[in-house]
Amino acid sequence: MGETTPEPDPRKLAEEARDRVRFEEEALDLADQVYRVARRLVSTREEAEDLMQETYARAFRAWRSFQPGTNLRAWLLRILTNLNIDRGRRQQRSPDLQPLEEGDYYLYNRLEESGREPNADQDRVDERLSQDDVVSALSAVPHDFRDVIVLVDIGDFSYADAAQILEIPIGTVMSRLHRGRRILKQELAEQTVETA
Amino acid sequence: MAFSPGVDPCDECEKLLQPYLDKQLSDSELAEAEAHLEVCAYCRKRYVFEEKLRMFVRQAAVEEMPPDLKQKLAELRTPLF
Repeated sequence: MGETTPEPDPRKLAEEARDRVRFEEEALDLADQVYRVARRLVSTREEAEDLMQETYARAFRAWRSFQPGTNLRAWLLRILTNLNIDRGRRQQRSPDLQPLEEGDYYLYNRLEESGREPNADQDRVDERLSQDDVVSALSAVPHDFRDVIVLVDIGDFSYADAAQILEIPIGTVMSRLHRGRRILKQELAEQTVETA
Repeated sequence: MAFSPGVDPCDECEKLLQPYLDKQLSDSELAEAEAHLEVCAYCRKRYVFEEKLRMFVRQAAVEEMPPDLKQKLAELRTPLF
């Protein structure tokens, strides 16, 4: 005598469908915020769009592994950063190979030396730096450092979230952020002062 | 509160810039930084600049999602039936 497969409980199925729909809607509501981070983790808009689609396809398939009540945006970004690494879009460079960066006052001092010093009372950064300067300087920061800057300074993630997303210790997040911001300012100085 | 004797207080203050803006300083470090900023226009100008720079970078780096991408993402949802 053959065994019969038990009929699925319709109430349970309906409940699961409802949970899945809710998950998908919440994930889609976060798409704008996820995209802003994705866009600065990769070089081109096309790459960012591909990465977003791969991320959402995977997230929708793996929705059961998301723990409700935890940070969905961080969960999506973790998928996205893993995909970005897996697909070999990044050319990893060891942080130790980077030149020693200048101090934290470097950019201000360079602007001051170049005669573009702001009036302290009406200090307007946007009068001296353009959006293109920032985008271009950011893309010149090595990936290991840029990822952390993008997550913390642009994506507004805490150190702890960034550590979880990138699967690195929180101390590494802090040191990469510190060095990364200095490298960013060096790049900005090179672009805005040395080409002036 | 004062920075260590024999050390340039502006150098000390520069080291505290990032953790200051990240609100990561201990109470004693915060008091030291603020006491120095109170009397040092050189560091104060650079702290103000850094704070504005961070805001500017955040705004400048934002590129909005292309309108058709959201639709493409929505199409990846699991069909209900």
